Amino acid sequence: MKNNNQILINSSTKNLHLVRDFIEKKAQELNIDSNTTNQIVVSVDEACTNIIKHTYKYDESNTIEVEYKSEGHSFIIIIRYKGKSFDPSTKHNPNMKHYFAKYKVGGLGIPLMKKSMDKIEFVHTKPNLNSLTLIKEI
Amino acid sequence: MEEFVISEKIIDKTIILYLNGFLDAHTSNVLEKKFEELIKDQKYRIVVNFKGLSYISSAGLGVFMAYIENLRKNSGDIKLSNMSEKIFNIFDMLGFPILFEIYKEESEAIEKYNHIN
Repeated sequence: MKNNNQILINSSTKNLHLVRDFIEKKAQELNIDSNTTNQIVVSVDEACTNIIKHTYKYDESNTIEVEYKSEGHSFIIIIRYKGKSFDPSTKHNPNMKHYFAKYKVGGLGIPLMKKSMDKIEFVHTKPNLNSLTLIKEI
Repeated sequence: MEEFVISEKIIDKTIILYLNGFLDAHTSNVLEKKFEELIKDQKYRIVVNFKGLSYISSAGLGVFMAYIENLRKNSGDIKLSNMSEKIFNIFDMLGFPILFEIYKEESEAIEKYNHIN
């Protein structure tokens, strides 16, 4: 923990619950209802899971920093990590009727993230630093 | 509290799985192994009771997608019950009620199997 509004984890799925607990606590401090809180929590979980799986490929020596801030009516989460850039906001949501008809598996993390949040912003800066900002209007 | 634990019981020919804890990218393999085991034992009629589940992410949803086709091909199914509003909303957000039968109570899900011999 770097300060009260940040959490730093090693990139392992075993640490996902620490990030979820951190976000949930912040949402509770603002008296956000439980359904909205869960939408924010699941979005941050999905973002971190994607980074652990696809960017860091389960190498636990890497880290992910999650910062929270609130601005006006916006609940903002900034996720910082190193490595290959990937902007989830550019990925199209699947047609779910087609998805179910074909019994597809996987690829639902980003759709869940996008449906749960109001805005997603991705920035890649040198050297290889990425920041993913998730915004929920409350 | 354990991160994720499954307990089970059998009623007639139906297996009831009780999920407890959280189902995320770290714990979803536990549920995968359980479905593998049931399919290997030719137990295809499954009800999953969510009463003790506090959280689900897409990794958890993915487990149900991975086995539903195989189970239905074998005249079985995965019927879901006792979801909290929080869990149901995650299923609902992506349209899972189109593919999965979701019941308020476990007994209603079991009853649906009783119409099949």
